[in-house]
This record gives sequence, C-alpha cells and structure tokens, in this order.
Amino acid sequence: MEPKINYRTDLWIDWCPGCGNYGILAAVLKALEELKLEPHKTAIVSGIGCSGKIAHYIKANGVHTLHGRAIPFAMGLKLANPELNVIVHGGDGDLLGIGAGHFVAMGRRNLDIVVIMHNNGVYGLTKGQASPTLPLYTKTKKLSHPNLQGQINPIMLALAAGYTFVARGYAFDGNHLKEIIKAAIQHKGSAFIDVLQPCVTFNDIYTAEFYKKVIYKLETETGWNPNVEDPKEADVKLLAALERAMVSDGRIPIGVFYSNPYASTFEERISQSLGRVYPNLHPSNSKIEEEGKNLFDEKTFEEMFKDFIVERIG
Amino acid sequence: MKEINVVIGGPQGSGIETSMSILSKISAGKGYWILAEREYYSNIVGRHSYIIARISSERQPRSLTLPVQILAAVDAETIFTHYNDIENGVVIYNKIDEKVRLDKIPSMEDLLKLRIMNELKGLGIDPSVSGLMEFMKRERGVEPLPIDFAQILGKLSESYRLDPRQLSRYVSTIVVSAITTLLGLDEGSMKIALSSHFRDREEIVEQNFAVFREVSKLLSEKRGILKLEEPKNTSKKMLVLTGNEAVAIGKIIGGLRYQSYYPITPAADESEILEKFGLQEVQGKIFGPILVMQTEDEISAIASAIGASLSGARSSTATSGPGFDLMVEAISWAGMNEVPVVITFYQRGGPSTGLPTRGGQSDLMAAIFSGHGEFARVVLASGDHEEAMYDAADAFNIAERFQVPVIHLLDKFLANTTASIPIPKLDEFKVDRGIRYKGTGDYKRFDLSSQISPRAFIGERGAFIWYTGDEHDERGHISEETENRIRMYNKRMEKIKLIEEEVPSWRKLNLTGSTSPDFIIIGWGSVKGVALEALEKIEARTGFKGTYANLRMLWPFPRKELKEITSKLAPEKIIVAEHSYGANIASLMATDIKVDEVASIVKYTGRPMMLKEFVEALELILSGKTSRVVLKDGA
Repeated sequence: MEPKINYRTDLWIDWCPGCGNYGILAAVLKALEELKLEPHKTAIVSGIGCSGKIAHYIKANGVHTLHGRAIPFAMGLKLANPELNVIVHGGDGDLLGIGAGHFVAMGRRNLDIVVIMHNNGVYGLTKGQASPTLPLYTKTKKLSHPNLQGQINPIMLALAAGYTFVARGYAFDGNHLKEIIKAAIQHKGSAFIDVLQPCVTFNDIYTAEFYKKVIYKLETETGWNPNVEDPKEADVKLLAALERAMVSDGRIPIGVFYSNPYASTFEERISQSLGRVYPNLHPSNSKIEEEGKNLFDEKTFEEMFKDFIVERIG
Repeated sequence: MKEINVVIGGPQGSGIETSMSILSKISAGKGYWILAEREYYSNIVGRHSYIIARISSERQPRSLTLPVQILAAVDAETIFTHYNDIENGVVIYNKIDEKVRLDKIPSMEDLLKLRIMNELKGLGIDPSVSGLMEFMKRERGVEPLPIDFAQILGKLSESYRLDPRQLSRYVSTIVVSAITTLLGLDEGSMKIALSSHFRDREEIVEQNFAVFREVSKLLSEKRGILKLEEPKNTSKKMLVLTGNEAVAIGKIIGGLRYQSYYPITPAADESEILEKFGLQEVQGKIFGPILVMQTEDEISAIASAIGASLSGARSSTATSGPGFDLMVEAISWAGMNEVPVVITFYQRGGPSTGLPTRGGQSDLMAAIFSGHGEFARVVLASGDHEEAMYDAADAFNIAERFQVPVIHLLDKFLANTTASIPIPKLDEFKVDRGIRYKGTGDYKRFDLSSQISPRAFIGERGAFIWYTGDEHDERGHISEETENRIRMYNKRMEKIKLIEEEVPSWRKLNLTGSTSPDFIIIGWGSVKGVALEALEKIEARTGFKGTYANLRMLWPFPRKELKEITSKLAPEKIIVAEHSYGANIASLMATDIKVDEVASIVKYTGRPMMLKEFVEALELILSGKTSRVVLKDGA
C-alpha cells in the first residue's frame, strides 16, 4: 500500500474548543487524502476571520487573503495556472457580506474551483456581530437588539448566480461532508458548499443540539436526484433545487442540491477564445524570455504590430 | 512652413477620432511627425469633442500649442468654442452653419455659452457664425473656408446609393480631405491612409476616397496654401500609436501573461488592445497566451492579478483614480507578501469622478502613500510614448527583482495622444525575473537569510508556499512574535534602500538642457514635452539657459539625484510643473530634500499644458514677477 500523504501542518490550531471549523478541516483533509491530490498542485485560498486560518493548517499551498477577496485571489491563481486544484474557504460574512459581488461573479464564470462557506451566522473573530445568514429578528447572545437585517439564502443565491454544483453540509457530519467535498472537487465548474458550522462562543441559537434536531439528508428521500444527466433537464433540476432551497418547514436539508457537469467551464470558454492552446499552455508555463532577452526581434515585432506601423510613401 | 497646428472639432460620435487616425496616417506616410491629442466630454454622442494636433517637417513635436492655423469645424459649436484658438489661418466649416446663432446650440454647456456670449458682446460681435467669421477675418487674419457638406454628401449618396441616415459618417472625411488639400498632400497618401484605417472594407475606402476627390476638386484653388516643407525624417517607417497602445505593446514585450481590468476611462482601451493580442502566431512561433480578464470590480482586478502573480505569471492591472482607490487594500497585501504586480495608473481629473475624460497629475500622493501600514513600493512615471512603452515592460523587471508592487503613473493626456515614434530598439527591453528558488524540500517563502528571498511559484514541485496578510514567519505562517516581527518588518522596509542603491540614476531622473543652468524645471509624466520645448523657446527669447529634470522614478524618491541638481540654485530658480493645484512634487522635495519655496507652474483645467502659455509662465517667473502661474488655455 502506498503511504498516505500527510496534508496536515504541525501548527497548533487556535479555534475555540468545540468549534465547527474542526469538523470542516477534518473533512477537507480526509477528502484530499482520499482523492490523493498532489499537495503542490493544490491551493487553499482563504479569506479573513476564524475560517481564514484554515489555509495554514493544511499542508498544501496556502493563501490567506483579504476579507471578502478570497475568490478573486483564487481566480487569478487558477486562471494563471489551471493545473491547480483551488479550494476557497470563507465565512458567511466574508463570502455573502463584504465579498458578495465576487461570490456572484464566480457563478457567472463557472471557473473550476470549489468554494466552501463556513456558515455560522456570526462574525466570530470580531466577537459575535450578526452576519448575512442570521435570520431577521434573531438575537444571538452578543447582540444588544434582535437582528434587523434579513438573511440571505446561500443555496438560492449560488444557484441563481450560476454555480453548477451546489450543496450543503454539516460541520459535525464529517463523512457526509467529506463526500460532498470530494464530489465538489471532482465536479467540473464552480462548486459551492454551504457548511453549517456551529459557533460555540457566539451563536447560542444555531448550536450543535439545534442542528441535530432539524437536519435531514436529501439523498435519503426517495426520488431526489440533483444530478443533471442530460443537458436538457438542467432547467428542471435547477428549479427543483431552488424549490427545495426555499422550503421553510423548520427542517434543514443537507446534501447535494444541484450538479450540472454539462455547462461550459470558464477554462473551456477561454480556450475557445485563445486558439485552444489554453489550458495546456497557460500564463505560468509559457515562455516570456530567453536568457534575459525578450522574445521579440525586429521582424516579429513589425509583423505583430503591423497595424501601428506606417510605412513611408514617396 | 516647418509645422502646422490643427484643431478638428465636432460632436462626439461624428467621427472625430477617425479623422485623427487618418490624418496621423497620412502625415506619417509622407514622413511628417505628428502629435495629436483628443479632448472629449464624458458622453457617447452629441457633446463637443476635438482633436488638437501638431504636424512637423522638422522633428517629432513634443507638445501642443495654441493658437492653431487650421480650425476644422464639423458643427457651429466648434467655431464658437474655439474662436480664440486660431490666428492667421483657415477655418474650414459647413456653409449651412453660417446662420447658426450661439444661443440656439442646445448641446453647448450653459456656462460656456454664457461666457462666450459675454465675450462676443464685449467685442461687439453678432453672436452668429457669420458674425464671428467676419470678426475673425478682420481681426485675427483668419480665412473662412465654407464647404457645402450637404452637396458633397448628396453626390456621394447618389453615386453609391447610400441611406441618407448613414451620410453623417462621411462628415469627418470631408474635414480631413479639406485639411490634406490645404496641406497639399497627394491623393496617393490619402488612399493608403484610408485603406489602412478601414482595413479590408474596400467599399468604404472607395466611398471615402470619393469624398476626398470631391472636396479636393472643390478646393483646388486652395491646394497647398499651407504647404509644409519637405520632411527631414529619413526613417522608412514609424510607429503611430496612442499612449494606451504604447503601454500595451510594452507589456507584451515585457512578458505580460495576465491582465485584469474593470472598465474605466482612460485605462480601458489598454486592456482592449491587449485582448487582441491574447494569442499570436508570428514567424512560426507562438506568443502568449495573455489572459485579459474583465472583472466585477477593481478589487477583483488587483486581487486576481496578485493571485496570478503567485503562480509566476507576469501580471498587471490598469485603472485610473477611482479604481485605484478601490485597489489599495490589496496593494498593501502585496506589499506585506512581497508580491510583484504592476498597477498601470492613468490619472484623470479628480477628486471623485472629477473630470472623468480629462487629464491630470493630481494622484501622485495617492500612488506613493496610499495603503495602510508601511511597505516598499516603486512608483514610475513616463514622459512620453517611448518612455511609456519601455517603462511598461521594465515595470515587471523592477517588480520581480525587488518583489514589490510597482505603480506606473501615466495620465489621460498620454493615453489619448497619438504620436509618431521610431520603432523601438528591442535589445533594450531586458527581462529580469529576479531571484528564483532552485532547491527542493524545505522551502521558506520569506527566508530571512537574504534580503530578497528566492521566489518559488505556487504549483512548483518541491515547495509548499504560504502567504498571509498577517505578519508571518519565514514559512508564511501567522506570527506575532516580536523578534520575528522586527526582522520581517526590516526586511520589507529596507528594500526601499536597496532599490535606491540598485536602480541606476538614469532610470530615476533624466536631465536635458544646459549643464550650468540659470534655472531648472522639475516635472514628471506629461510635462516633459512642453517643458523641453519651452526651454528652447525661452533661451531664444531671453537668453536664460534652463534644464529639465524629468523624474521617471517617483518612489523611492530620488533624493540624492535631486539634491545634487537643486543645490546650486536659489529656490526661485527651481520651477516645479505639474497638472495639479498643489504642485505636489514640491511637497515631496520640501520634506525629502529640504528644498522649499520653489516656483511652480500648474494647471488643473483637465486640459494639457500648451507650449505658448508655458513659455509665458516661465518668463513671468524668471523675471521675478511671480512664483506661481496657473495655466488655463484650451477649450
């Protein structure tokens, strides 16, 4: 048997004891391990907050970026080197608050990356303010008044934006989450996973006890099939996913809402516009110099830029 | 004549840009040098726009000047707007416009209308085109040259069965044809310029050529009345391009692989040009790919450019003031993480939206000091098209060698100015990728054993790389430990000294003019051309010998070099020129080299400094009458 790759750095983890992030980290590590992703070809790109630190705990490339901007950093990295497996981690405030514009734009592109949202309903590292997924009039313990801003439905937003793999997981159902993460990594296109993550310190409403009571698994329902198996049924499946995401019966479904492998990825669209050399030839593996000299000589320069050259007549 | 100055004006959308392109191509084709700037409102159709150009048989013109000798008016608004901009020349205009009265021009700004109305009243001129023409003929030595546009277009419509609604597209050709006829340029060059501009659309070339012939016939008596001398230019070919195009070409030669942008004037053109060069096959070799990414905002533009850079791709973004402001947080991240990335910053008139389609140089301080925390950066500025092309390429070398963000300051004037320049000497465009990691195993991205840590790229085998905006240890993991903090902080900050020492002085500052000057002009960017030509004029006129110091690296501030050249002169003989209110470079001099109370020439109308007004300002300063002149020429 070949030895397992160790994807865990030896850093001490400074999340609160009992934090949902431990479950997410464990599921990610296990998914990487089972998929045997090459660490040097893998990049974890994270935002700011407790979830942002995950980049340091995984022994692959890690880019711990700015609040809300993990997606655009990840996009540049992935576009410039499409050989990379790029996984974005962000909190709900990060992805749906300050970074919502980028979150939506990523869906439009269907770039082949995975976005994992650590959804705890609060801004943890700044001590418990309400986040974009906290329902209206909810009062978690650090709020002096009930929350006056309504909540975003992350699944619906992701579906509307154009993510072609949309799922929800639960931080403390490690196996289930691991399988979703694996499917998301293997999915061709932008994948989004909304991970319910109890915050033991600041969210006294959406606790592990709470989730235990209300969570159910989509795949256990007879007839639930989120996978688009024929491009023609993409719209029907999308509508079913949206409907399911809207149901408010007090229960919370986890599992895959939608998976469409037929939509063109951003890489394919770029390839089309760049004479099909991309993604084989890409920004980070294409030559730009020869021993310190640029690649142009007079002839190539004049041919390439002929539109700007005016020849003398008479 | 050795040179001719021209203004071509008309409503936005009437083909003024086309006339600029065609005129530039004819001129360059005949061996004349040209410099032509485009002025326009933030508007798509209808508001007044114009080209101001200078064509020379002697040498490449470096600046524009008023008054001009040809005013070509597509509409009446142009005549009213520019009546003060012409002397001893010819006004080409549409005969039908003679009846138009100033108060009946809806597209004209009320403030401008009122101002001109008052001026005309003061001069006792009837506020109509015919009234104004009479005055200009009498008082300004101007010859009116009315052309019946409708007649020419009618003939065109008949011969080619054109839809009358499309005829306005040919108006700009009438105007250019009239200009080329006055200049005595031949049919052949017009045909070549039209073919080059309209590419393979033969029918359109033919129709436009028919317009030229018609106009040429009509003005046969005027042919060559403003003839230029034989050009002294001996080169067989020239590059004719805008500043945006020069920068794009520079980036391509420099090995750009990822460019991101969010649409903004006057930067967007650069990215659109780059898009056309995404993948090129020339002489059997593949060049590229260059990915040009239109992002959802400028934050994403800079963040994705940084992301691309981490993979080893040379990456950049292009923007102007408002977009740059949005990028600042990420630039601080790039400073913290020692990421080479290039931000091409085209200044326009601020603050806020300001004058979005006009020029300025008021973002110097933003480029140098923006961003929270302290970190090393390089700010470059280019004085003309040739410098812009070279600097656009070299910015990547500086960024990678010192592992810092590089801000390349340009402005709208350069962006929208067409110039004829020699084909660049490509040997000068070196590619320096800086220190690369060559080992395997225990890689430390922020290795403290050397000031510039060897760079590995994400995706490279054998190196785990971590980056974080937090203070970090050598591996890139978060650390708040104080000894490490000091060492990391020092490593980043001491780059400033390293850059100061290692960047050659020609790269920082160029001196042109007298070696023992009576005065010195200090400027950067687009001031270069007007300052250089003003030195010659002022010496001829007053005997005062001057030197122009063209600052090409604004940060780290070239204090040693500047101190040396300013130490021999009294402050009033040191003149700072800048398109701003504050002459901000003077503030840097005051704090950095303790040279204070210098004289200044500034302009903040959003229009470029013109040669004549600049020379007059210099005279005022050198004669001791004032130490600050605010310029305001140009409509």
